[in-house]
Amino acid sequence: MVYRRCHQLLRDEAEASDLMQDVFVRIYSALERLDMQSPSSLLWNTATRLCLNRIRDKHRRGLDSDSSSLLVNIACADDEQTDYEAKNVLARLFSKEPESSRTIAVLHYVDGMTLEETAREVGLSVSGVRKRLRGLQAKVKNLEVK
Amino acid sequence: MIPDWKIERFLTGDLPEEEMKKIQNLEATDEIFAQRIKLLREDNMAILNKLPFETLSEKIAEAKAESAPRTLNFSIVKFASAAVLVLAVALVALMSQRETVVAGTDVAQANGGAPAQVALIETQSDTRIKGMEARMEVWKKTPAGIVQLNNLDEAREGDEIQLRFAVPEKCFGLLFSMDGNGALTMHMGDGAKAIELAPGKMNSLPFAYKLDNAPHFEKFFLVTSQKEFAVDEKDIDKLLKDNDVKVVSVTLKKVGE
Repeated sequence: MVYRRCHQLLRDEAEASDLMQDVFVRIYSALERLDMQSPSSLLWNTATRLCLNRIRDKHRRGLDSDSSSLLVNIACADDEQTDYEAKNVLARLFSKEPESSRTIAVLHYVDGMTLEETAREVGLSVSGVRKRLRGLQAKVKNLEVK
Repeated sequence: MIPDWKIERFLTGDLPEEEMKKIQNLEATDEIFAQRIKLLREDNMAILNKLPFETLSEKIAEAKAESAPRTLNFSIVKFASAAVLVLAVALVALMSQRETVVAGTDVAQANGGAPAQVALIETQSDTRIKGMEARMEVWKKTPAGIVQLNNLDEAREGDEIQLRFAVPEKCFGLLFSMDGNGALTMHMGDGAKAIELAPGKMNSLPFAYKLDNAPHFEKFFLVTSQKEFAVDEKDIDKLLKDNDVKVVSVTLKKVGE
């Protein structure tokens, strides 16, 4: 599942193998504060987040990416939530690490999850998901929050 | 059209019962969908062959050894357990779809009663990690297949429960449960005495357990120790508080119809 997810987003076998291992290492590193009740969701969302970071890094370095333009746009969107996460602010406030708006956008727009399914997936309310998506919508073309 | 993310959850058995059943029915009736699932299962096996978990666990250990050598042993144990759990769920879900690995097994009625036939999974989850703690899994037979129950999941009278366990090293072990009436049921042991257990793969008990009408809860205990021991039915706490034993438990909340 993790390998397929990485390959789906990165469209590169070697990078998918590499990222798959990063997913497990990342989860292991943050194990103390993660909710392990739904391991599939945790693996899926972590893979999504790391793939977005990889796509963004490649874009910033001017490297070609096989990922779709929508995915590149989402990956490169400024995301305050991600910045806060990077500063470890939210991790200190919440026992369950909140998903970034970018990850939420991929679940909804790329994976085709409904707002309800997305909300369940990331542990937010539907209105919370909608709010996050609207925040990102202003920064990413072709995103329409229903 | 079932989206990819939902199919992945289906393959790992990590969907609610209703959705599991719906997708299983679709697999049974839709040839194109069944082929899609078949290809994904084959892909799963190919990925596991190409990137075996043993290799991954070594990389994780290496990565952490560089950053936090003093906490490695304690932390890797917990992560390994979680990761193996995920892989085990995936494997069990994968194998449960195959007729060749499904075997008939007797179901023992709690507190007596006639045995019944239940299809149970016999998987070979041989992945083992040094230092891994003893593990116990609780599975329930449902119309949609067999699903794993987590701690504090709900269960009902008549639910057929299958217990599985693994120990990381040779030891003595007992597996028993306590219900809301305070009744103790032995699932594995020589009477009340612990039996010797071999390390390695997950072991399924040779019988399933049908929950009776006891209220509130059913709590399963896997107790292991390097020393021989026994449980006193009238004083289970004494065993559970013994510093020489390790206890893994899963509690099911009993709910009515």
